[in-house]
Amino acid sequence: MFQKSLGFRIFFWTFIILIGFFAFFPQLWMISTSLKPETEMYKISFFQNFDLSNLNRILHNSDFLGYLRNGMMVAIISSILSTAVSAFAGYSFSKFRYKGRKQVMAIILISQAFPQGLLLVSLYPMLQNMGMIDKFPSIILAYIALTLPIGTWTLKAYFDQIPNSIMEAACIDGASDFTTMIKIVMPLAFPGMTTIAIYSFVWAWNDLLYALTLISTTAKRTLASGMIFTFTGEGGNDWIGMMAASVIASIPVAIMFVFLQRFFVAGLTAGAVKG
Amino acid sequence: MKTNSKNSTLMAWLLVLPALLIFALMILYPFVNSIFTSFTNKNLIFPKNDFVGFENYTKLFKDPNTLPLLFTTIKFVFFSTICPFTLGLIWAILMNEKFKASEFMRGLTLVNWIIPGIAIGFLWNWIYNGDYGILNALLNKMGIIDSNIIWLAGKQTSMVAVVTARTWQMFPWYMAFIMGGLQGVPNELCEASRIDGANNIQVFTHIIIPTIKPVLILILILGTISNLQHFDLINVMTDGGPERATSTFAIEVYKKAFKEYNLGRAAALGVIWAILLGSFSFIYLRNLKEDN
Repeated sequence: MFQKSLGFRIFFWTFIILIGFFAFFPQLWMISTSLKPETEMYKISFFQNFDLSNLNRILHNSDFLGYLRNGMMVAIISSILSTAVSAFAGYSFSKFRYKGRKQVMAIILISQAFPQGLLLVSLYPMLQNMGMIDKFPSIILAYIALTLPIGTWTLKAYFDQIPNSIMEAACIDGASDFTTMIKIVMPLAFPGMTTIAIYSFVWAWNDLLYALTLISTTAKRTLASGMIFTFTGEGGNDWIGMMAASVIASIPVAIMFVFLQRFFVAGLTAGAVKG
Repeated sequence: MKTNSKNSTLMAWLLVLPALLIFALMILYPFVNSIFTSFTNKNLIFPKNDFVGFENYTKLFKDPNTLPLLFTTIKFVFFSTICPFTLGLIWAILMNEKFKASEFMRGLTLVNWIIPGIAIGFLWNWIYNGDYGILNALLNKMGIIDSNIIWLAGKQTSMVAVVTARTWQMFPWYMAFIMGGLQGVPNELCEASRIDGANNIQVFTHIIIPTIKPVLILILILGTISNLQHFDLINVMTDGGPERATSTFAIEVYKKAFKEYNLGRAAALGVIWAILLGSFSFIYLRNLKEDN
């Protein structure tokens, strides 16, 4: 695309060093701090004296383990349900033509732009009246709702690429509409479904706002809101503990992502660009 | 494509039903209800819920903090979109060169975007720490500063600090989209114009930019919308302070509702915020339509 002229080489090396440092140094700094012995917390050192005791300490903190467990459970359930709900809706938008279809699609897309804080102003009293504050189903429902716009539109784009002739052939063979969808079309959209499953998992795992608002007891906290409460007040100066917890919190999503990177990025960008 | 049979229309609606129900319960109803709430004095603790007309709005217009709140939000959103966009564009061009480690590096940068905002907030709090932070240590060593700067406590520096952290988090996302766009640039066209004597900069401005323009516009709009919604990093790093210097709508509405328990006032502020977000989404939708 570009000629490897002297000017281009200077441009290339300048920014690979500058942006590379900006991107990667903080990552390494997080890991390096989490591996320091506590006595060296305030010493500027970079990957000297490895000490796993802080990671160990955080992993043996029963509150933190609870946050991890709750977070994992909420993220897995949200991910499965959100993928199913998005897939059904996306399939309907892609393979059927009916009155009101475009309006429903548009309103689901626009819902991304409803301010989340404004929604919570009513969601909190509503859930309170239903006795649903501090209950996992409330945040799971919220995560499904918040991941629906990207989920539905991305999967619609995937189903659009699957030719209708495949469905018609199945119909002739006597399969019902529902069987055709579950057994024939959905497996073909597997990359798209995986993308949305990861997307919803990450959303739920990372969310702070809803968890902070709708969950009120320590025993029910999920990861992000639990971490806030662990490291405020007295814990506010435990930088090593904070970095250790951050590394542990980042590992599940980072691993998931490294394995499925190509799938994921291509899937998400394609969905948004094609609409 | 199924058009006519009654059965398939029924099935189509049954398939959308779960999505619609969840959407109605968790988004549409709260949204409409919040607009009503903005005309009441509803409180989270005291059981009052009376109609007060436009009182919440007139109080907001008289409040000397409202205009600065708008400016702070615009400042945060503008720089938190433009900075990662620029870095993402440059990084996409570099990663597109397909050198030995490019795929690995691309994956590693995307880690910034995927990890929890809370971890990113903690990390940058630690980097910016006034007494023991690595940033002050580095700047001291290079001789750029001679006394430590308390980054998150300064009115100007706190905004720079938050925007930098947001840039670190988001530039890989912009990169991913731009790299997708770069794959659509026809190489023959670049070669041909080079034969005509065009240099790198001319190829960039006359061929590459026009080709990827739809993607660039799309991510600028989506980025703006997501920054208008952004809560996590500001909440963890500054909580809107010092003296509201980093307080955006997302932070302020949350505080009014869940720290001051004033749901009516929070809702009124939220409605103004919704109008801001709505106008950007309108541009987004129009943009999508033109593409089709």
